[in-house]
Amino acid sequence: MRKSILLISVVFLVIGLIGDAIAQEEVTLTITWAGWAPMDTLIALAEDFTAQTGIKVKGDPIPWPQYHDKIFTEFASGKTSFDIVLPDSQWLGEAVVGNHLVDITDWFNQHVNPADYYDTFVKSFCEYPDGSGKYYGVPGLGDFCGMAYRTDLFNDPAEQAAFKEKYGYDLKPPETWSQLRDIAEFFTRPEQNLYGVGLWQAPMPSGGLTDVFLGCLWSFGGELWDPETKRVKGILNNDIGKEVARFWVDLYQFCPPGSTNYGMDEVNTAMQQGLIAMMTTYLAFYPGLLDPDLSLYWDKIDFCPTPKEREWWVQLGGQGMSISAYSPHKEEALKFLEWWISPEVQWKWAQAGMFSCLKSIVEDDQYLSFAPVNKVARVSYPVLRDYWEIPEYNEMGTVMAEILNGALLGKYTPEEAMDLIAERHEEILERAGYYK
Amino acid sequence: MSGIQNTWANRVTDRGMLYLFLIPTFAFLLFLVVFPLIWSLYLSFCDYSANTANSPVFVGVKNYSFLFQQEDVWERFVATGQFVLLAVIFEFILGFSIAMLLNREFFGKRILTTLFILPMMFSPVVVGKFFRFMLDTNWGIVNYILGALFGIPKIAWTTSYEYALYSLVITDVWIWTPFMILLSLAGLSSVPRYLYEAADVDRASGWFKFRYITLPYVAPILTLALLFRTMDAFRFFDVIYVLTEGGPGYSTQLVPYYIYKLAFSYWHTGRSCALAYVLLIIVIALSNIYINYLNRVRRA
Repeated sequence: MRKSILLISVVFLVIGLIGDAIAQEEVTLTITWAGWAPMDTLIALAEDFTAQTGIKVKGDPIPWPQYHDKIFTEFASGKTSFDIVLPDSQWLGEAVVGNHLVDITDWFNQHVNPADYYDTFVKSFCEYPDGSGKYYGVPGLGDFCGMAYRTDLFNDPAEQAAFKEKYGYDLKPPETWSQLRDIAEFFTRPEQNLYGVGLWQAPMPSGGLTDVFLGCLWSFGGELWDPETKRVKGILNNDIGKEVARFWVDLYQFCPPGSTNYGMDEVNTAMQQGLIAMMTTYLAFYPGLLDPDLSLYWDKIDFCPTPKEREWWVQLGGQGMSISAYSPHKEEALKFLEWWISPEVQWKWAQAGMFSCLKSIVEDDQYLSFAPVNKVARVSYPVLRDYWEIPEYNEMGTVMAEILNGALLGKYTPEEAMDLIAERHEEILERAGYYK
Repeated sequence: MSGIQNTWANRVTDRGMLYLFLIPTFAFLLFLVVFPLIWSLYLSFCDYSANTANSPVFVGVKNYSFLFQQEDVWERFVATGQFVLLAVIFEFILGFSIAMLLNREFFGKRILTTLFILPMMFSPVVVGKFFRFMLDTNWGIVNYILGALFGIPKIAWTTSYEYALYSLVITDVWIWTPFMILLSLAGLSSVPRYLYEAADVDRASGWFKFRYITLPYVAPILTLALLFRTMDAFRFFDVIYVLTEGGPGYSTQLVPYYIYKLAFSYWHTGRSCALAYVLLIIVIALSNIYINYLNRVRRA
């Protein structure tokens, strides 16, 4: 009896060891990203990579609101469950300072031609610090802030006539922020449960008020700081800054009531349910707006860029693709990056309706037919701009979002809000040692 | 029958066995509870960010003095105090009142008691999500009912300075009133029936019976219930995370939520540890007040 038990144990042990050895030979790369359509598309495309290399790929999607904290908590623990990560552009500094991403400078210089991409994508997704020539990722998703609007309202002859009579110019997607205000005012009809515009107003640095407000600030001619001295006072809160804050607070009267917590989900829902005439969002969220199962107006929505004013700047979104410094499969991950940046894969990515960062694709007229948002991408890419790409961005963005959110509800006047933000930003930068 | 074998196991004394069982448990507790406590206390006196590879740098009480100088930190403490006070008072009044009603025999008592206790069994995050939908300004059922029945205009429950904190209180009261009901019922069922019968013979009023029979019996367990709820309310986090996300502005960023932001959004690990210890000291001080009162009640 004892001999039988011993024999069975040995057999199981041998099978276990062989199985383990086989399993060790099979590499599976784990990619983490937010749980959204681009992630699903990437994982579906990665089947081609597996077919070519034998390296399996699986996705670990995380809901957007938890995405930053989840990956950085793993980074801080010194061990990550993922090999490849697609961090938001502004997270790059935070991740690099913590030594959490693999420095791929040599590989990058051999395999990537920065001229193939729009400048902002390379600077914001790959290089840190700016101009250092040190690279930590490749361009991933070329997302950006854009607008969606209801064509049934904008193309209605009666609405067009009424608008022209009231404002003296044609009703069409807003080209300037001032026009956006007029149109928002025109469509604000609480008695019909319709409001002019849905804006991200949530007091959050990513996925909240800061994202959309900055496109407006820059387009009016405002600035966040002096990039050389990092001084904020007198720049962010100058006359233009305060003018933009007044404009922003004034605009809130044309947003749905209680929309100071609007972020990506809320503003999409408001559009899908017909509560608003137009909205701003990162346009990679567009599939939900055109899904007949989700949207009552799926066939009555079109897209346009965020407006100009005195200048024209559009807030950058999107992510680069980087390798976790704690990944045991760095070589395989580099192979994946090489596969990812190949023009063939990028074409497939674009054909699936996703934003490619490759100039040659974006500027090809075929690209316009792949998704209704691509025409907006093409005109927005040359004027993309990103905010503070330093590790303190999160605190600075939060301060801005929280104080302006308070201003929307009357806690501060717009002028007080901008003064307070400038003061708090300098305190944060001072503590971080930027003023020596 | 053979004698007891001289094995290692048989040589272990009772005391030895005691240590054998205790040592792993103590080691486990030391590793999981005591070490993190001491380490975080040390970090509270350090300039340290867990996001970087840099070692902690001892800075004395700088983190504490920084926090006490920040006006917005005080505002968060005030909001936390308001929340704890309102939530615990309402839970106490509602919980005890419902327990008084349930502390008698009637048809359907068991089903009703189960229904009252259900909210406590849901995950607070799930409840937070439910309330976020129900309290939504534009499509929430609460505004719909208020509008349809009373013509009340839309209320921004979770996104206005006037109501956001109350929306958290309402949610917490909904979740945790059952806890007060349970403990109050346990206290009420311990009051001997003959005392009420004797009081009835003496034609004592309802208030007299409540004040001199019921209350003295249930006071210790009610104090315990208040102690538990107060301690727990100071740790209120998950519902904020999904219901208000700390807004509008930072008006509903109660201290535990702010500690989380400091620690994992801004990576001010040292500062977040300092704030956590300030909160811990406040909770310990309040707990002592309750415990002293409990001891006095017992002695009386």
